[in-house]
Amino acid sequence: MSAQPQKELVTGETWYQPGDEILNVGTKLFALRNQCTECNVCEVACSLVHSPDGEINPQLSRVRIDHAPEKPSKVNREGLGFVAEICHHCGNPPPCAEVCPTDAFYYDPKTLAAVIDQDNCIQCMECVPGCPFDVVFVAPSGELLKCDLCGGDPVCVKACSTRPEMLNKGKQYNRMPVLFYEDQPEFNRLSREEPVKRDEVGIMQAMLEAGKISSGA
Amino acid sequence: MESNLLRVDLTTGEIKSEIIGHEVFERWVGGSGINNWIMWEHFLTHDINCDPRSPDNIFVFGVGPLAGSGAGSGVKGRITFKSPCYDMFGDSAGGGKFPYMIRFTGYEYIAITGRAPKPVYLHICNDEVSLHDASHLWGKDTKDTHAILQEELGTYPSKTHTLSIGQAGENQVGIAGVVSDALRIHARCGGGAVLGSKNLKAIAVQGNGGIKINNPEGIMKWSDEFRKSLDVNEAVYGFKRRGTLGAVEMYQHIGSHFWRNGQGNMFRGGEITSDNWVKRFHKYSEVCSSDCFIACDAKYKIDGTESEAATKYVDESFRRPEYLTTGSAAGALDVRDWAEVAHWGKLTNDYGIDNQDLSCSISFLMELKQRDLISDDDVANLFGHSQSLEWGNMDDIERLVDSIVFQTNPFGKMFGDGPYKGALRYSEMMGQNFMKYAMYGKGGASFTEEMRPFPTWMNNMAVASRGADHLKGLGLIEKFQRRDLSQIYFGGPEAADLTIPDYKGASTAIIENQVALLNSYGVCMFHWMLDPAGYMPESYYGEAYRSITGVEHDSEQLMRDGERICNLEKAFNSRVGMRREHDTVCERWMWEPTEEGLYPGSVAADMFEPVLDEYYQWRGWDVKSGLQTRAKLEELDLGDVADVLESDRALARG
Repeated sequence: MSAQPQKELVTGETWYQPGDEILNVGTKLFALRNQCTECNVCEVACSLVHSPDGEINPQLSRVRIDHAPEKPSKVNREGLGFVAEICHHCGNPPPCAEVCPTDAFYYDPKTLAAVIDQDNCIQCMECVPGCPFDVVFVAPSGELLKCDLCGGDPVCVKACSTRPEMLNKGKQYNRMPVLFYEDQPEFNRLSREEPVKRDEVGIMQAMLEAGKISSGA
Repeated sequence: MESNLLRVDLTTGEIKSEIIGHEVFERWVGGSGINNWIMWEHFLTHDINCDPRSPDNIFVFGVGPLAGSGAGSGVKGRITFKSPCYDMFGDSAGGGKFPYMIRFTGYEYIAITGRAPKPVYLHICNDEVSLHDASHLWGKDTKDTHAILQEELGTYPSKTHTLSIGQAGENQVGIAGVVSDALRIHARCGGGAVLGSKNLKAIAVQGNGGIKINNPEGIMKWSDEFRKSLDVNEAVYGFKRRGTLGAVEMYQHIGSHFWRNGQGNMFRGGEITSDNWVKRFHKYSEVCSSDCFIACDAKYKIDGTESEAATKYVDESFRRPEYLTTGSAAGALDVRDWAEVAHWGKLTNDYGIDNQDLSCSISFLMELKQRDLISDDDVANLFGHSQSLEWGNMDDIERLVDSIVFQTNPFGKMFGDGPYKGALRYSEMMGQNFMKYAMYGKGGASFTEEMRPFPTWMNNMAVASRGADHLKGLGLIEKFQRRDLSQIYFGGPEAADLTIPDYKGASTAIIENQVALLNSYGVCMFHWMLDPAGYMPESYYGEAYRSITGVEHDSEQLMRDGERICNLEKAFNSRVGMRREHDTVCERWMWEPTEEGLYPGSVAADMFEPVLDEYYQWRGWDVKSGLQTRAKLEELDLGDVADVLESDRALARG
């Protein structure tokens, strides 16, 4: 269990005074709904980059993978696989910051993301229920964990290599990761893009074409 | 790099923790290497010839340093024990979330000895370790066991993940496996029977500690490059779509299936010959192991309209069958409906039993009946009632599976240890030699792929330390005819040429070392198969291994580490009395020519002996006896192992 303070990856600190206008986050995290495979690579990467001494611990990650709520859908009557629980970076001011009794939130001037200042945080945990999406997490040591967008280069997005290509009766997507760091219109465009038609090739044929197997076989 | 070993003596209930120091990693890499060493040390003070189902046997679980550490190559846990079905070295790998979660408890290795007076399960919650009554779990399949434990233990301090046995393990069926999270099975060698004999139903883990990484920047950089190389690799997408099931079509092309107990090597029946059936089934989620960039698995659901048999399994969800699930059902047993193949996979996972040995036990009896070597009365004597032994009849097959899992009749009792021991017992009972129809390799283990045209694979089936199968030495150079790789390893194309014996034994030896290394890293073999650098785990994963552990071994040293691990497994088998004559395969593979496929007329005997000789030569072992030499062991820094072998008269003379 880490008692070490979590390292923030921000480009600077902007502290707003009462009455100041808080700018909305433009480019933020998005996830393709129900396409996550629970590979946990984003959790691993997030905890590793935010840890001061190179520690992997999904409980120190600011993005979490969980079973999707069990509600019926066209895809599956029993539940929807997995979802990535990500900070939605609500705007102006974010509810988590709004409920903070010590005003321990500052803002990254580059990404405009709200970040918890661990020195001012009294771990009252008001922000946990304050978050409408349940994505402010509590580390085993009691510290509050909130996504800081890694200063504009989110490591979870870089690490997300899952390329959903749900064929069959599920929706088909292009080869994209589940996690995106985009603005809303661009994400909408990407997720609605018409899938490229590809011949379905099995592993052996693909390896054959890639020269991994000789055609003699 | 340091790690913790949890020792649990079930007889006394004593639980203690030990530190595995950096020097152990320097010598044994991690994962299966360290497991082997823990077992080797155990059998220095306990009788190695003990009954594997006795309290003297040890059950080791371990997970390698690259597992779940950002390397992105999957997570594979490994169980190691003396095999109850083959009476020799036994181990098996499995994925799922259990091996990932256990790393966060702080214990990466567990050694279980003794026998609990009544059924228990082991709960590891960070450093709090306790044994609990499992009477409410006894009799439950792995799926229910997992669900009950998850419900009972909850999600604090973390989600609960389990390793459990099903009814097969409880009944100490020799070929029972251990199932991780009701999802992935450590199938081979009978680990389930060992846990069953110890009255340990399950291990549940919850942890919220962290894994320390020696060089975080190094591993982030490595995994970035690794992911990019996978993203542009078309074969990865092939894997994502179909997983190993994609092999069905290629194997049909080259004639590498195992049909009706090995009587043929192609599937019959239109749809079964291709993997395109998955398109019709309803996929609702892609699934993968933790820390894996591929996701080769997926969940499907049967809605009843897909095929004739699908009406029986409406609303049953299943994971896309692996090749060997298909090879055992559609191949060995000639089941021709995909819904039934999917159901077979689910059935064996829920009971926790190895589908290779299970299918070959059933297909052995089916072939005897097909050839009229046994009468209806003989069959009725086995089952206590009349029983059709018709190829591909899934309802009958399910009844035969139940006989073995629940040990309800003479058939189940005779074939609980797989087809080799089963055939021996049945031949003795009937006073007639049926061994010609038993399909097996080293140790009596069976494997449902055609081997005869492929000398490296055949050699691998004969020498694999845990009994015949492909995962100790996957002969990719030869089966995929990779002349380029042959050139890299041996300076010529010979190893990729199926018609000559040259470099076939050498390929086995080299790939065995590489695989030992992969298993010790704790990563999945699929990434290695897709490795752009030419299947070289020593150079490819070397950088990641050094970043994570701080063990500064270069490629050459890592290959020697792999060789050392293989030599320890060999030494274990030498101690239980295995010699050159045990490195062999069944009569059909050896003498009966193939009739179909790309390579008709092949028999193993064509090249078997020269390839085996070459294997021993490359290994530096004695060709005549098949035993290790002191010179080789000392070269690998295994002088202490040589001393033990010498006192057991299991070291080559001279």
